[in-house]
Amino acid sequence: MEHLLIQAFIETFIMVSVSMGLGTIMGVILAFLLVLTKPSGLCPKPLVSHFLEIILNGFRSIPFIILIILMIPFTRFWVGTSIGTAAATLPLTFAASLLIARIVEDALNTVPKGLLEVGKAMGASNLQIIIKIQFREALPLMISGLTTVSINIIGFSAMAGTVGGGGLGDLAIRYGYQRYDFTLLILVVIILIALVQCTQMIGNTLSRKLKK
Amino acid sequence: MSIIIKNLEKSYDKIVLKDINLEIPQGQILGIIGKSGTGKSTLLRCLNGLEKPDRGTILINGQLFTGVSDPERRRIQQKCGNVFQTFNLLSRLTALENVMLPLDFFKKNSGKNKSKALGMLHLVGLKGKEMSYPSQLSGGQSQRVAIARALISEAALLFCDEFTSALDPETSLEILELLRDLNKRLGITIILVTHDMSVVREICDEVCVLDKGQIIEKNDITSILLHPQKEVTKSLIRNLFNKDLPHHLQEMLMTNPKKGSSTLLRLFFSSQAAREPIMSNLIRKYDIPINILFGNLDHIRETTFGCLIVEIPYEISNLDKLIKDLDQRNVSSEIIGYLPQKKEIHGTPPYPSIH
Repeated sequence: MEHLLIQAFIETFIMVSVSMGLGTIMGVILAFLLVLTKPSGLCPKPLVSHFLEIILNGFRSIPFIILIILMIPFTRFWVGTSIGTAAATLPLTFAASLLIARIVEDALNTVPKGLLEVGKAMGASNLQIIIKIQFREALPLMISGLTTVSINIIGFSAMAGTVGGGGLGDLAIRYGYQRYDFTLLILVVIILIALVQCTQMIGNTLSRKLKK
Repeated sequence: MSIIIKNLEKSYDKIVLKDINLEIPQGQILGIIGKSGTGKSTLLRCLNGLEKPDRGTILINGQLFTGVSDPERRRIQQKCGNVFQTFNLLSRLTALENVMLPLDFFKKNSGKNKSKALGMLHLVGLKGKEMSYPSQLSGGQSQRVAIARALISEAALLFCDEFTSALDPETSLEILELLRDLNKRLGITIILVTHDMSVVREICDEVCVLDKGQIIEKNDITSILLHPQKEVTKSLIRNLFNKDLPHHLQEMLMTNPKKGSSTLLRLFFSSQAAREPIMSNLIRKYDIPINILFGNLDHIRETTFGCLIVEIPYEISNLDKLIKDLDQRNVSSEIIGYLPQKKEIHGTPPYPSIH
């Protein structure tokens, strides 16, 4: 049983950390595009902004389990197979980047307009303003947002079982629910609670440290 | 640095700035004053590049600032400093790091940057606060950091937008003093926008009064204060002294006179009233008791200016003549209202003397 648990934990850990890592990169880029191109942004491009909004909202309204199935052709193309941990990581990454984009966008929008104007009036370029002012100021809020998304993704990863992705959630369903192994079920739940608690704690500490 | 503005125009839904022509020589402190919504902030935002004017040209130090390419505009902006009403410090950076922000943007040499920023912080009187975060600084200290940040890139031009509005009167005086000092020591040109005549009086060499998007009056500070031409200017100056009546008098004030009541007159001394003993002359000439209830007087050079609130018995027949007489002596007056007969007032002496 320990073997099963360790194996599942590793799978969950890989799925969540890889999808969060890649998702953060894509999400942050998306968020910056959103913030920049919005009508009141530093570089207003209404068409791009509308397009991004529609895409983002469209995909976010698809339930994750359906998203996995819809993405099977892409997964097959990118990963080579549509089953297994790696195959489950792709839709997870996609979902994560959409969630992160929104949360980071919100964080960036909380930076007061006056601070951006300081940069602008100083003669800084848009890129400098974004990186050295907006990003820096929004960082604590972004970190707490990322924590929330991580916890969401841990939850999502339970659905990875549908494509043979493994992980703790899958283990709980197959052994705990389908085979009535109640002890294992409880153990998985305890591990998940601990995992979420740790994530939240790390996130809180980091965010607090960054806030001055 | 000098600024020349020609035929500047800006409109959003309606016209905000119209036909603005202004020349600001190197080293001058210019105050742009006006009531809210008159376009003074927009004018400043055109000067610091946060807004693009619709028409007209701005020359900063002889270089064209309007209609130029972005990099060209930014190059000029880098030589200008800005101080804002809300300080706008980065909350996650220390005072020192905040001051270094412009250098961070434009200059690579980080070893020298730090000593320069330290020097700047000392110059604005913040020794020992280098490592404090904005949340640990008071309003006045924050604005000092902002001033240091504005001046670090050897700015010779400083734009200040209502920068004392968020400070208490004492602190804003200190900040104004600091600016005065920096202007003298470093020869920087300062343009400040405010609705508060006391800021202008404290620091400005020249004043330009904005109303409905146009410059309606521009003169040196003494002339503006002593010989205001336009009604808007006069009312802004009046605000300097126009403290409200003490509360207990306010309550007693009547709009119509009764028998035995007395008239409250507000007198404005805003021109060369010289050193004539106006009050005692009045008392002698008209043989009336004049009671000074409230006063706020100031001197610029040889001239008294300010406001007095006096109480005169209502029943004198020649009040009109008295007012005309005052007018001839360049003291404008206005009837505020009437007070009931003195007997009805509790306690003696009934009124406070000069505050």
